[in-house]
Formats: sequence, structure tokens, C-alpha cells
Amino acid sequence: MYLYQLSIREWWTDLKDTFILNFIADDRYMLLLKGLGNTFLVTLGATLLGILLGVIVALVRSTYDKTITGMHPGPGKFILSFFNKISSMYLTVIRGTPVLVQLMIAYFVIFAPWAKHKTLIAIIAFGINSGAYVAEIIRSGIMSIDNGQFEAGRSLGFNYAQTLIYIIIPQAFKNVLPALANEFIVLIKETSVSCYIGLHDLTKGGEIIRSRTYTAFMPLLAVALIYLVIVMFFSRLVTLLERRLRNSER
Amino acid sequence: MNDDHLISVQKLNKHYNGGAIKALNGVSLDIDKGEVVVIIGPSGSGKSTLLRSLNLLEVPTSGSIFFEGNDITSKGIDINKFRQKMGMVFQHFNLFPHLSIIDNMTLAPRKLLGMSREDAEKEALDLLEKVALKDRAHAYPSQLSGGQKQRIAIVRALAMKPDVLLFDEPTSALDPEMVGEVLDVMKDLARDGMTMAVVTHEMGFAREVGDRIIFMDEGRIIVQGTPDEIFNHTDNERLKTFLAKVL
Ligand SMILES: Nc1ncnc2c1ncn2[C@@H]1O[C@H](COP(=O)(O)OP(=O)(O)OP(=O)(O)O)[C@@H](O)[C@H]1O
Ligand SMILES: [Mg+2]
Repeated sequence: MYLYQLSIREWWTDLKDTFILNFIADDRYMLLLKGLGNTFLVTLGATLLGILLGVIVALVRSTYDKTITGMHPGPGKFILSFFNKISSMYLTVIRGTPVLVQLMIAYFVIFAPWAKHKTLIAIIAFGINSGAYVAEIIRSGIMSIDNGQFEAGRSLGFNYAQTLIYIIIPQAFKNVLPALANEFIVLIKETSVSCYIGLHDLTKGGEIIRSRTYTAFMPLLAVALIYLVIVMFFSRLVTLLERRLRNSER
Repeated sequence: MNDDHLISVQKLNKHYNGGAIKALNGVSLDIDKGEVVVIIGPSGSGKSTLLRSLNLLEVPTSGSIFFEGNDITSKGIDINKFRQKMGMVFQHFNLFPHLSIIDNMTLAPRKLLGMSREDAEKEALDLLEKVALKDRAHAYPSQLSGGQKQRIAIVRALAMKPDVLLFDEPTSALDPEMVGEVLDVMKDLARDGMTMAVVTHEMGFAREVGDRIIFMDEGRIIVQGTPDEIFNHTDNERLKTFLAKVL
């Protein structure tokens, strides 16, 4: 009985000491906070870039699918075919290679001369990566809209672009909003590989602490917990969003 | 040369699969201002293809279409300008589900005719009053019955002040008890002198409202004439067979 109490007390003191060592001493929690900030920065920037790229690629690809058969040969058809080809190559390459490899190519090869701008390089790499997935989400959203909507728009006198902007995109966007939000959540976790280029993100924060205190358990557990809480928070938001969208469907 | 007809279709062909399917096979047709032309014929005879060619929703393989004297099939023409003058009503209504009724009606006048929201809404409400749906102005399409949706689709087209209205089986997707309310709106339009081209299986409507009936089969116009000629005095065997089935 006595021995048991002693060991619990020892264990508790030990735990407290490791906690203080890992997070309080030298203000080490700041390493996690700074990392968290960068994780958010990269995720947010990459999401915005991804949506921009994804919308452009989705528009090219669905315009091609919807109009190419009815188009007369000419420069318009040539340009559209050209951009469609580029878009599908982009999708194939990005979705066919690991994001970590893409990040390292961006950092060590393409942007090597600007290596000190790690955050920016990570935003670009993850943004280009995410754009490929966003493109397919948006394209499926556009293709899921009944063709009668296109025809109604065109029959009123709207041109192709106006029909997309006023009629198709608002409906498609509503349909794909949850999927886009999920892409954001995936990206939060995916950016953890940016510690490979030495970017001080949340994961790297934990890594730095581990290398300084020589204890792995607590800093890594803390990192995992923080990711979990963030992901659960945003997943909850997506669920609420989905419910609201469903309710507003009159 | 075709200035006297509102629409003049000349030797129109629409082929699919490299000519294996001739949805339209040399169709020529004139539609005059104020005329109600009703297109009838068996399934697959090319009625929809003809109607949808008139505003180039289907691009013909060859032939030409003159609208108000302009060859709209000629290269480099801005079809969107002409489509503003050719309203279309679809079998499945195709209302915009993300917009309220009033927004469905005012979107095109505001964006394409440059009307202010105020003016566009005022005109839309007048149109809604004519089809007895003014109280539904701020409802959404999914809150309406099929008959109400199709009446909205008609006034949405009218909001652009078109010179002709094209109808592709406007009552085929409706429950029987709602067919009448839509046909009544179309009759009112005909009485007010609207030029209309109507594909329909409603022979009663064709007989009562049509100025001219076009009977199509296998991508061709087989016979055309007044309702009396078509329904009472024809000696065309194909038409007789068709009428025996539908009447
Ligand atoms: N996209 C297409 N590809 C191949 N064939 C087509 C296509 N669209 C129409 N067709 C064919 O063209 C012919 C005419 O079709 P259309 O839809 O104009 O007939 P319809 O008279 O309107 O028939 P319904 O009364 O059934 O609506 C049919 O044989 C149809 O199968
Ligand atoms: Mg049809």
C-alpha cells in the first residue's frame, strides 16, 4: 500500500518535471505557438491559392467538355484544347506524385535561390498541390448541375461565361462547399511534412523541443493533440455548414 | 430576301454519328409574325431538334435560319443578341433553383438589357399578376407546383420582351390537372398576338389555338396546314396513322 502510493507520487512528480522541462522552461511552449501560427499561415495561403488554381482548371476542363464538340475549327478551339491539355497534365502529375516530393522539388530545385522564404515556398507548393484536388471537386460540382440550367441561361441570351457566373457557379459552389472545407482540413494535417524543408510549423515545433529536451513522448503527444483539436473543431464546423446548406435547400 | 417572315428556315439538316442519324433532313419552314405554329409528330421525328435549332441550342449540320432578316447560322454572328428576342420554354421548366421567382425573372433583363432592379421588378410583378402568381414573387422554385413553375418559366421568358416564344412540350411533365392552367396562359399569349412555335402532344390545343399545324416524321415535314386541313381533311397515310394513335 505504501509502496504503491509512493510510486504514484513519484510518477506524478516525474510527469510534472517533464512537463515543465518541455513546455515551461525557456518558454518552450512558444515553439509550439509559433509553429501553430505557421501551420495556419501555410494552410490558409495554400487553400486560397488552391481555390484560385482549382477554379481556373475546373473552368477550362468543364468548358472543354461541354463545348468542344460544337466548336468550329479555329484559333478558339485550338487555344481551348491547348489549355485543356495543360490542365490535365497538371492534374496527372500533381495527383500522381507524393506531396512531400513536390515540396522538396519546390524547395531544393525550383525555388532554391529563394530558400530563405520557406513559408512562401510551402504555400506555393501546397497551393499547387491542393489546386489539383480542388479542381476536380469544382469540376464535379459544375458537371453535376443539370444541363437544362445551361440551356435556360443560354436561351435567355446569356453567353457561356455569364451563364457560368450567374447560374451554374452559385449552384455548384453550394454543392461543393463541404468538400472544399474538407480539403482545408486535409491540408492542415498535410502541411506537417513541411518540417522536411526546415519550416517551423507545428510539427517542427514539437521536433525542436524533442531535440532540446531529449524527451519524445510529451512534445509529440502535445503536437498530436493540437492537430486533433483543430481538426475536430473544423470538422464540426463543416457538419454545421452541411446542415445549414441542407436546410436552406427549399 | 426573307424580310417578310419573322423566321425562315431553309433546307435545314442535323446529322448525328456522321450522317447515320438524320434528326433533321432538309427542313424548310417560314413563321410569320403573330402566327402560332404547332409542331406534331411521333417520338424521334425531330420536333425538338427543329425547335431547338431555331435559337441554335442545336447547331445544324447545314442549311440556314433567318430571324428578322438576319442569317443567324452565318459565321461571326452574335447569337446571344438574337436569343434575347427568342424566348424558350422547356418541358422541365428549368427555373433557377438558387434564385427566388422575382430574381429568376429579373436576372436576364437586368444583366442583359441593363434595366435597373426597380424597373425590372416592376415589370416582373405586372407579368406575375397576369398569370395570377404575384403573391409568389418571393418564393423559391421548389416551393411551387409543376403548373406554377411552368407559368413562371413562361413569364421569365416574357420578361425579355421576345419577338417569338418557343415551347418544347411545355405540358408533358405536368400532372394532368395542371395542364389546363399552363395551356390557358399560352392561349392568352396567342390571343395577344405573340408569335409562338409549339411542340406538343396536346391535340386539343393544336386544333383550338394553332394557326398552322406542322406534321413531322423521320426528320422531315410531311404535311402542314390549318387545323381543319390537318385534323379533318387529310389524305396523308402517315398523318392518318399518327392521328389515329393520339386522338
Ligand atoms: N445527341 C444526339 N445524338 C444522337 N442522336 C440524337 C441526338 N439527339 C437526338 N438524336 C436523334 O434525333 C432524332 C430526333 O430527335 P428529337 O429529340 O428531335 O425527336 P422528337 O420529335 O422531339 O421526339 P420526342 O417526341 O420523343 O421528344 C431521334 O432519332 C433521336 O434519337
Ligand atoms: Mg422532343
